[in-house]
Amino acid sequence: MAIVELDRIHKAYENKVAVKELSLTIEPGQMFGLLGPNGAGKTSSIRMMIGITMPDSGTVKLFDKPFDRASLERVGYLPEERGLYKKMKVIEQLVFFGQLHGLSTEDAHGRATSWARRLEIDTSLDKKTEELSKGMQQKIQFIGSLLHNPDLIIMDEPFSGLDPVNAKLLEQVLLELKDDGKAVIFSTHRMDQVEKLCDSICLINHGEAVISGKVRDIKSRYERNHVIVEFDGSAEFLKSSEIEEASNFSGHAEIRLKPHGDAQRLLKEASAVATIYRFELVEPSLEEIFIRAVGGKADA
Amino acid sequence: MRNLLLVAKREYLEQVRGRAFKLTTFGLPAIFAVIIAIGYFSSLGIGSGRHLAIASDDPALAQLLRSRILGQKDSKATVDVIAPATPADRQQLVDKLRAKSLDGVLWVEDSASAQPKATYMAPSAGDFLMNARLESALNKALVDEHLIKGGMQRDQAAAISKGIDLATYQVKPDGAVIKSNAEASFWKGYVMAILLSMTTMIYGMNVARSIIQEKTSRIFEVMLAIAKPSDLLGGKLVGVCAVGLTQIAIWLIATAVFFATPLSASVMSGQLSIHISAIEAILFPVYFMLGYLLFSSLFAGLAATCETEQELQMYMPLAAAPTWLSFALIVLVMNDSNSVWSVAASLFPPTAPVIMFLRMASETPPAWQFAVSIGLLALSIVAVLWFSTKLYRVGILMYGKRATLPEIFRWIRYS
Repeated sequence: MAIVELDRIHKAYENKVAVKELSLTIEPGQMFGLLGPNGAGKTSSIRMMIGITMPDSGTVKLFDKPFDRASLERVGYLPEERGLYKKMKVIEQLVFFGQLHGLSTEDAHGRATSWARRLEIDTSLDKKTEELSKGMQQKIQFIGSLLHNPDLIIMDEPFSGLDPVNAKLLEQVLLELKDDGKAVIFSTHRMDQVEKLCDSICLINHGEAVISGKVRDIKSRYERNHVIVEFDGSAEFLKSSEIEEASNFSGHAEIRLKPHGDAQRLLKEASAVATIYRFELVEPSLEEIFIRAVGGKADA
Repeated sequence: MRNLLLVAKREYLEQVRGRAFKLTTFGLPAIFAVIIAIGYFSSLGIGSGRHLAIASDDPALAQLLRSRILGQKDSKATVDVIAPATPADRQQLVDKLRAKSLDGVLWVEDSASAQPKATYMAPSAGDFLMNARLESALNKALVDEHLIKGGMQRDQAAAISKGIDLATYQVKPDGAVIKSNAEASFWKGYVMAILLSMTTMIYGMNVARSIIQEKTSRIFEVMLAIAKPSDLLGGKLVGVCAVGLTQIAIWLIATAVFFATPLSASVMSGQLSIHISAIEAILFPVYFMLGYLLFSSLFAGLAATCETEQELQMYMPLAAAPTWLSFALIVLVMNDSNSVWSVAASLFPPTAPVIMFLRMASETPPAWQFAVSIGLLALSIVAVLWFSTKLYRVGILMYGKRATLPEIFRWIRYS
């Protein structure tokens, strides 16, 4: 059963096409990355997915049924444009969100307290939202979107503004949810995060899907022509004829070889002038794949 | 419906717990009481404590005039008499006025003629209440003088020209004849109309402000994934309306408690005697609710097109226009509460709540007029709500700039 199925959805505002004939399918237990630069059409696609706006054409199916508002009770959404009621106490706010999702007051209260403990904000439950830091508020919104135990979780830039410790905590929660069989859609322009967390992606640019599929399959389509070298000594080898482009960060170099460039020859040249601690031939990153796919025409 | 009620409950609790609610609930009537008291008590003192001079060619008339001025209610004036006065006296009196050693000079000449001439000179030209007091005193003094010249004793003459007070009674549609007080009725209608228009505006603007705040805090994106826009808007309107009704209920209960105390009997007596009928107590919350819904649903839509409260200010004249129009019609309505204009204004939805209360102060309009005005208000609310929901649906997700008029029309077409 597909959790989300978009079939050629299209949305235009006046003279700007926000989403163009986008199709994708998301299965249970899948962490799906919706990627693209700012203004690519990620948020517009999500808004159509959950009925905030309607597509001009194409169809949206949630849980194998054409979209209807009742299915939103199984969806948790953390939008990029986040907001909370500033004057409300944290616990009242969470109970309110839970009730709107159909929970009873007691149930919402119990779940809110348990999640707050899990995300280490239980001591702030009786505080007004405006008294909390931005990171704490983000955790409250995160909890608000998960209180009703949704089967589909949509997170739009969930880690923006979080410190590394809290980002790690949220990452862990998302991975646990995925392991529980929930479908997680993760929209971001930070491709490194997606690379780490997602099993499938859809790269969007100018409202159009540029690349989509399983991360592994996508990466395997590209030649392994990237080399990471950690060294001590002369950086003369970076001028090698095997190299197309290189960046040197004081003993850490990222290299792109020329088409058919010889990595073994480069290793020899490098070890002749420097002590090599690491020499690794790697796949291109999603960021590079994206840049190659759009030919440097992204808006970001 | 469940979500609408949850949104309404949240809105209600947030506003009722807020400082603004406590301030307006207890502060607004207090401010009104102080303003009315200041206005009333300061008007009592108008013309008192003045230093006046009466100059006349007829000493007897001048003395009669002096006693009439001194005999006026609340008069604490000092009155000098210069009689018989000469043209040289006139120049001297003008000099005293310029030196501010006198506040006014009443110059009476040709006293022997059938039509004596009177002139009042003062440094201030706008003291019309003082002019009215002097005119009344002069007319009475002239009558006194004629009666005395005709052979009547001074006391008798004063008693005759004292005049009589007119007692007014109102005949109700059921045939009951009750004592009425036009001045008290006017003040009652006026205060109720002001309270009605102020609460309607305050709570209507509360809705608009709250929408802008939520738009600024970006909560809508979260809420729209949970609840329908119509539930969000409906919940907000119902919640804020309940806050207003709570406030009115507090005022009505406080008024009822006040009227039950002996204090009210001493304070609200004579000219100030005010009685609020059961129909007024019922219709006040009804017209508040209707006026509020009309006003707030319009402003909810407009607020959704704005980014800041400053931008919303642009629409303020639109909000205030019905109130201005209503109060501009006060004299017309109070003079003839059944004229075509009065009836039309009380049926016209934007002015109906205030005008109906002004009309009720003079005479309770027929039931069909209440029914038509409430019906028309209800229809207008439906129409405005339709328009506003369309604006709201699109507007709350538009960030960055205030929508232009062509954009607003496009949104209405799209949604």
